[in-house]
Amino acid sequence: MKIKSILIANRGEIAIRIMRTARKMGITTYAIKTAKEPNAWYLDEADEVIDFSECYDDTPEFLDIERIVYNAKEHQIDAIHPGYGFLAENPDFARRCEEEGINFIGPSHDAIYRMGNKTVAKDLAKQARVPLLGGSEGAVPDAEEAKRIAAEVGYPVILKAAAGGGGRGMRVVEKEKDIERMFKLASNEAEKAFNNPQVFIEKFVREPRHIEFQILADKHGNVVHLGERECSVQRKHQKLLEESPSPALDEKLRKKMGDAAIRIAKSVNYYSAGTVEFLLDDRNNFSFMEMNTRIQVEHPVTEMVTGIDLIEQMIRIAEGEKLAFSQKDIKLNGWAIEWRINAEDVQSGFSPSLGTVEKISWPESDQIRVDTGVRDGSVITPYFDSMIAKLIVHAEDREKALQLSSMAIRKFWIKGTKTTLAFCRAVLQNSNFRKGKFNTSFLSKELKIHYHHEPDEELLAAFFAVYDYAREVNEFEDKPLYVDKGKEIAPWVLNKRLR
Amino acid sequence: MKKSKKLIALSASNKAYEFDKPLEKRIKYQGKKVDIKLREDPNGFSYIVWKNKKYMLDVIEKNQNRYTVMLNGVWHSFSVETPISFKRRKYLEQQGEASTSVSVEAPMPGKIIDIMVEEGSEVKEGEAIIILEAMKMQNEISSHASGVVKSISVKKNDSVMKDDVLIEIQRG
Amino acid sequence: MDVKGRNFTRFLERQKRYDDQHSTRVEGKQHAKGKLTAWERIEILFDEDTFEEIDAYVTPEKGDTGFGKMKHAYGDGVIIGHGLIRGRIAFAYSQDFTVMGGSLGAVHATKIMKIQDMAMKMGAPMIGLIDSGGARIQEGVASLAGYAGIFYRNVQSSGVIPQISVIMGPAAGGAVYSPSITDFVFMTNQTSYMFVTGPNVVKEVLNEDVTFNDLGGAGVHSKKSGVAHMVYEDEENTLIGVRQMLSYIPSNNMENPPEMELSEDENKDFEEKLRDVVPDDPNKPYDVKDVINLIVDKRSFYEISENFAQNLVIGFGRIDGKVIGVVANQPKVLAGTLDINSSNKGARFIRFCDAFNIPLLILEDVPGFLPGIDQEHNGIIRHGAKMLYAFADATVPRVTVILRKSYGGAYCVMNSKNLGGDFNFAWPTAEIAVMGPEGAVAILYRKELESAEDPVAMKKELAAKYREEIANPYVADERGFIDEVIDPAETRRKLIRAFEALETKFMNNPARKHGNIPL
Repeated sequence: MKIKSILIANRGEIAIRIMRTARKMGITTYAIKTAKEPNAWYLDEADEVIDFSECYDDTPEFLDIERIVYNAKEHQIDAIHPGYGFLAENPDFARRCEEEGINFIGPSHDAIYRMGNKTVAKDLAKQARVPLLGGSEGAVPDAEEAKRIAAEVGYPVILKAAAGGGGRGMRVVEKEKDIERMFKLASNEAEKAFNNPQVFIEKFVREPRHIEFQILADKHGNVVHLGERECSVQRKHQKLLEESPSPALDEKLRKKMGDAAIRIAKSVNYYSAGTVEFLLDDRNNFSFMEMNTRIQVEHPVTEMVTGIDLIEQMIRIAEGEKLAFSQKDIKLNGWAIEWRINAEDVQSGFSPSLGTVEKISWPESDQIRVDTGVRDGSVITPYFDSMIAKLIVHAEDREKALQLSSMAIRKFWIKGTKTTLAFCRAVLQNSNFRKGKFNTSFLSKELKIHYHHEPDEELLAAFFAVYDYAREVNEFEDKPLYVDKGKEIAPWVLNKRLR
Repeated sequence: MKKSKKLIALSASNKAYEFDKPLEKRIKYQGKKVDIKLREDPNGFSYIVWKNKKYMLDVIEKNQNRYTVMLNGVWHSFSVETPISFKRRKYLEQQGEASTSVSVEAPMPGKIIDIMVEEGSEVKEGEAIIILEAMKMQNEISSHASGVVKSISVKKNDSVMKDDVLIEIQRG
Repeated sequence: MDVKGRNFTRFLERQKRYDDQHSTRVEGKQHAKGKLTAWERIEILFDEDTFEEIDAYVTPEKGDTGFGKMKHAYGDGVIIGHGLIRGRIAFAYSQDFTVMGGSLGAVHATKIMKIQDMAMKMGAPMIGLIDSGGARIQEGVASLAGYAGIFYRNVQSSGVIPQISVIMGPAAGGAVYSPSITDFVFMTNQTSYMFVTGPNVVKEVLNEDVTFNDLGGAGVHSKKSGVAHMVYEDEENTLIGVRQMLSYIPSNNMENPPEMELSEDENKDFEEKLRDVVPDDPNKPYDVKDVINLIVDKRSFYEISENFAQNLVIGFGRIDGKVIGVVANQPKVLAGTLDINSSNKGARFIRFCDAFNIPLLILEDVPGFLPGIDQEHNGIIRHGAKMLYAFADATVPRVTVILRKSYGGAYCVMNSKNLGGDFNFAWPTAEIAVMGPEGAVAILYRKELESAEDPVAMKKELAAKYREEIANPYVADERGFIDEVIDPAETRRKLIRAFEALETKFMNNPARKHGNIPL
């Protein structure tokens, strides 16, 4: 069934992104206007705007299931695309759409629910023979049991105190011969620190890499993967940049992990776009973390290397079409890197830098793609995320992609708010990053200073400060003061003042 | 009044940059006098051309003689001094301004809507650090000093009374 | 005259002794403290080479006191004279801390009184550069009498000529009363302080330990007490600040303030950005200084008392080159309410502008007075009345623009039509009512809300209706309390024309010795 209209239950850059593809496909787009950003750019890009400015209660606009569904029906809209975040992984929302006959551009509510439940997801992964981060269920009674579970799960493992944390009662065990001794040590420490000797076991992944695989599946049981994305550079579990492919994977590992991802998707009869997240350790062992049943922020890097429009595919899948390609048709060409540019002050610990983006400009080229919801004059509010733009570069290989990134970042100019561009520069300066040698500990261990500038730059900034100051002082002093005008007083007034 | 032409920019790390006649746009670099190409556009971007590269510039904060200049995505803070005021600063530093902590108090009763910093964050004087809702209005509470956040005594959705200590800042 | 003869030689010798007094060795002592010398300050304050000193060689009477040693220096520790500031005559005295700590003796005081009298006679501004340890103990009551004479003249000149005090060092004890009577007080951060009783006495009497800076430094007076109007980081900038302020003030109360040329890119008619500043949501704050900067001529806003009572913004600005005094509520501090401190701050500024023919522009967005026991017990009733009195008593042109809220008593206070406002404009976002919609509805429909199914939703609905029908500016417009509801983008044009029309305004209050402003 053809989709002729889509309500985009989202805002900012992803809303514009979805509209771009919808327009290409000749589909009418509807956007939701909020009182929080009445002049946002995405509203101008939509064909129709539904006004949610009147707020009847405290429910945030993009989380108001009933209101969105109601409006979709009122306007007789065929489908809803939830984007990412907000209601994208809310099974109730998907279900309500299904109930009301609105085509939800995403997976089934059942798939969302099951993959959203960590226990259920892990069970499914186990059944699909996908490696998991194993461990004990609850406290381990003695060293013997610890040894047994450790053998099952595989070394290294970590013993953790059941009653507390902070590193106490914690021991990493590399080899089986150490486990009994470590168990005693951990237990004793836990007893002393928390009055409770109980410890449990978990598989230990030391400074893993975060690798995720993009899945596309249709409603006819066909599932493919579109390669991986390397997302290890994170701060407090927030991704800062992503690339595809990953420097850590070779063809063999890619096939193994890709197949595992497909098995996971099939286990819930998945359809639409989705992402399976894995942890990869330094010995190339991978384990399933979770599946994200939505389109992700970093999807552009996959689009650049595969040449496939994921949003378009999501729409076609929702319409009931079969996937037009099979796994062997998927090729990863070249290298893509996405740099997230947020309105954050890197020099003050990434604190949010709210305000107005007075002017924004970036270099245009075939190899550079910028997804953004921000234009000259856009206001960064505290109500929504602080993302300004995603800068994605695509080149023949990683080295060229890094060079291109360097140039694009230097020419990306934003006036009016502090941004994470200086952080991107710091990452590019780091030699291990350039060599592709990094993992999730990159930010805390590798990058000593989170922003980068050349020594001359402070000199230039100092000059500008001094120049501006001198100019202001001069301007005031040199502007003519018409004192006489102050003495020209109309006789009417002068007469009265004299009395 | 005689205007002294020479000006000194003192960075936050106490490095002093001297400029003899800044309005002439020439600076001393590695012993030689170099011309600065500066393009300004109040409605667009201002930039400096240096060693054949363009560097975007913006004054993001200005308070009397204290400047924060953003160049190529990194901001630098300076105070602009004349030779006399520069000497004065040196004298005052010698006086040993004891690093004290400054507490930010609630100016009126209300509810904490948002806390924009965390312990350890750097703050600048005048920067908004807490949003306090009172009288149905959202009020920005700003920091009284520049320094580092020592402790935060409230959390989101707390109700506070007038003069309650909200945040302590270690000056420096 | 024979230049080598006795007459001229004596003249030159005396000059040399004077120069020695101000030698670089002596200068060094001031610089070591991070301060400038009395002469250096004069040189920065006045236009180059225009200062003429008077009474340079006056010395205290020899053998006048029996107690304590006295240094008989030329000038007795103060330099007085006149010069040009931006081409206009001004009179000043600059105390010299290197002579007996700049302390005030009988002769020192006589000099100051002399220059004050001159300033009054010539109708020119009087500037005091204060750097003094206080009364000269050796001279006893003569010093105190000296102070009294200075204070008397400060009061006689008040409202006749502009008086500015620049505190550049200590100002203690009785010495602080002269600055507090003058129109504006400037202080330099970290090297100047003012207090009535110093830390030593405080320690003796109350056993409290406090530093000079914490008791009466520039920070204290600009943020807490409101005594200092302008604070700068160093002395040069402080004096440049005085020059800047003087460019907005006439030389005496008969003149109009000087005008300034407009920049080429000045927008006289239409400023679209004004439409974007005030949010539609009445509970969202914004910075009224953004509005001010878009209304006045570019870069012409000179804010006064920036750090005190920040819920009210005051300062000088120019519209079409002509000076105006701005009084504006600041919604992002204390929701823009009026309280004790802001009422005092506003009232004094209004009185100054009225005395010196500076028209007033009022930008209004005030939800009322700050509630609370603290305010009530400390007399918000008295203090709020000050601003009301100041507005009503002012005969200079006064134009109001209501930007957003204007509730209750605060509506009256902020230069309403019936208080004598000459032109009263309102923006479409204006809300004029006895009280805010939520509050009003809670009272008017109390019974209905109590028995309602969903009181929250009903209240919201009623409040919206109240906004639509009662609180909107069109009601006031149609009844003549507002002259016109204007497009924010046209504000500049409307104001330029309004002030032009008001140029020849003259009014007289009823004849009386003076009113009785609540104090």
